[in-house]
Amino acid sequence: MDILRLLAKRIVGMAVIVTTATFLLACLVWLLPGNPAALLVAGSGTPEIIAELERELHLDRGILGYWWNWYSNLLTGDFGYYFLNGGRRPLSEVISATLPVTLQLIMYAQIVALSAAVPLGLISAYKENGRFDRIVSSTLFTLVSFPGFALALIMSLVFAVQLGWVDPIGYTPPSENLGEHLRLMILPVLSIAVGLTSSYTRLLRTDVIATLKDDYVTMAASKGISDRRILWRHVFRPSSTTLLTSAALNMGGLIGGTIVIETIFVIPGMGYEVFYSIGARQVIAMQTLIALISFGYVFFNSLIDILTNIIDPRTRERRV
Amino acid sequence: MSEQSTIHAETAADSVASPAKQKKERKRPVGFYVAGSWLSIVVIAAIFGPLLPLPAWDESFYDFLGARPGTSGHFLGTTQDGYDMLAGLVNGAKISASVSFVAVLLGGGIGSFIGVTSAYFRGKFDVIVTSIFNVMLSIPNLVLSLALLSVLAYSDADNPATTTRRVMVLMLSLTLVIIPILGRIARASTLQWAGREFVLASKSMGTKDFTIIRKHILPNVAPAILAIGFLAIGSVIIVEGSLSILGIGVPGGASWGSMLANGRGNIAFSPHEVYMPSLCIAFTVISSNWFGDYVRRKLDLREAKI
Repeated sequence: MDILRLLAKRIVGMAVIVTTATFLLACLVWLLPGNPAALLVAGSGTPEIIAELERELHLDRGILGYWWNWYSNLLTGDFGYYFLNGGRRPLSEVISATLPVTLQLIMYAQIVALSAAVPLGLISAYKENGRFDRIVSSTLFTLVSFPGFALALIMSLVFAVQLGWVDPIGYTPPSENLGEHLRLMILPVLSIAVGLTSSYTRLLRTDVIATLKDDYVTMAASKGISDRRILWRHVFRPSSTTLLTSAALNMGGLIGGTIVIETIFVIPGMGYEVFYSIGARQVIAMQTLIALISFGYVFFNSLIDILTNIIDPRTRERRV
Repeated sequence: MSEQSTIHAETAADSVASPAKQKKERKRPVGFYVAGSWLSIVVIAAIFGPLLPLPAWDESFYDFLGARPGTSGHFLGTTQDGYDMLAGLVNGAKISASVSFVAVLLGGGIGSFIGVTSAYFRGKFDVIVTSIFNVMLSIPNLVLSLALLSVLAYSDADNPATTTRRVMVLMLSLTLVIIPILGRIARASTLQWAGREFVLASKSMGTKDFTIIRKHILPNVAPAILAIGFLAIGSVIIVEGSLSILGIGVPGGASWGSMLANGRGNIAFSPHEVYMPSLCIAFTVISSNWFGDYVRRKLDLREAKI
């Protein structure tokens, strides 16, 4: 019952946030100097076409009418169109083509970051304040603050342009050529993963240090269980909850965060599409894409919140 | 005022600390000097840049297109368009530093004011403020500034966007992005302090609400805001760079991010156009993050003692 109430509260909260956010987005487009409809069909639009489009987008019905038309369409899965050279391209088509690419990028980055962070975090916590720990900690502090795009550009300068190991830009779908796909993904994935690794390692290190002080660890050690086994079997598992929560929470933010990386490496994902829609003045597409990214962000955050609530009841009283 | 009270807090903490610990705290870590000197260089370059004997940042030297670093007369080389790198970096420091500083100061000021007052007075005002913050925070900050900028920095043949206008718009958008971030921190931190006994005592003596906020709440909330403020400076610089790469930041190579965006196409012939602004951005972000972390660690130490 308690869970149901919480669930209902969360869903209502989510709906309110998403509705308000989309309204603000619609206001932004509404505030654009000039006529959004004329912008959309710039170059190919006659006054009749523009007037027609205005009616279609409900731009003539005030801000509320415009927002509601767009938002209710969005909720029913009608995402609007790109208007290009007199033609149209449905955004649902664009999104179903680009979203998987972005998700691939994010998943790879998460996998790389987690598989690097787990051993680094465990070892540096095991020898707390040892030489390894100090080197890892200070290196990671520098890397966590290193902007992703700067890293991306410097890596493509060194590995692609000067050493010629990989192509600096491009994307190949995995179904076409898996090896090429992975090779092209190395630099973008690393640019995202380095920052993630740093924050994951720091989280895991803190938690492992706390767990290592627990009585049952001393108990296990006194039974003569090897350090390696204690670390992996008895310490890692209870210490990994914060890490996993944080990894899941990052999912939402990463969808927005890949915009720059996708633009730098010309990867046809959602982020690149956002960049394109802004450059091409496709305000409807921009509005829809940003709204979808925020949906994803809010949805993931609330989902994780609910899940941690169900899994660990202690977090329920935390909110003041 | 806040200075006075911070001193108060420090002396209180000192009296608890053992002399040995005091001595240890006096000795500042190496990072303090490294980060501090880099930030000072940036600030000095930003303020006194125009006084330096450098060519104008947007003056093209046609005899030196894409000169390597170390060329005489152009210490750090030139871009493919013949702009002097050093002059560009100094001018970039001015734009990048002022954009991030103004955005964080203004956004932080407004955000803290809203956050502190809403947490202090609670009630309906607090509910409204919290929900507005939540809505704004539900959009990732790069995406939010992207949306704001693409509308505010709109330009066409009738009203072309000058660099100054783009910079102003950029500051405004980033300020709006910063408000909920620092506002939420200020609110959370105030909630912790507003219920303490000394606040209650002061209230029962009939002190005015804003006097309590000024004398008792702000000095205690300030370090937390300062810590996040430093981190915010770092993220604003990153956002500024990202926006430039996306082509809607400051145009024409006026800021670091913009130099990077311009130089990106020439990465194969003149790599210094890419790595120099990249490193400037990275060092500045690392330094301001370091200070944020430093302030937070000090804060934790103080909390632990209390």
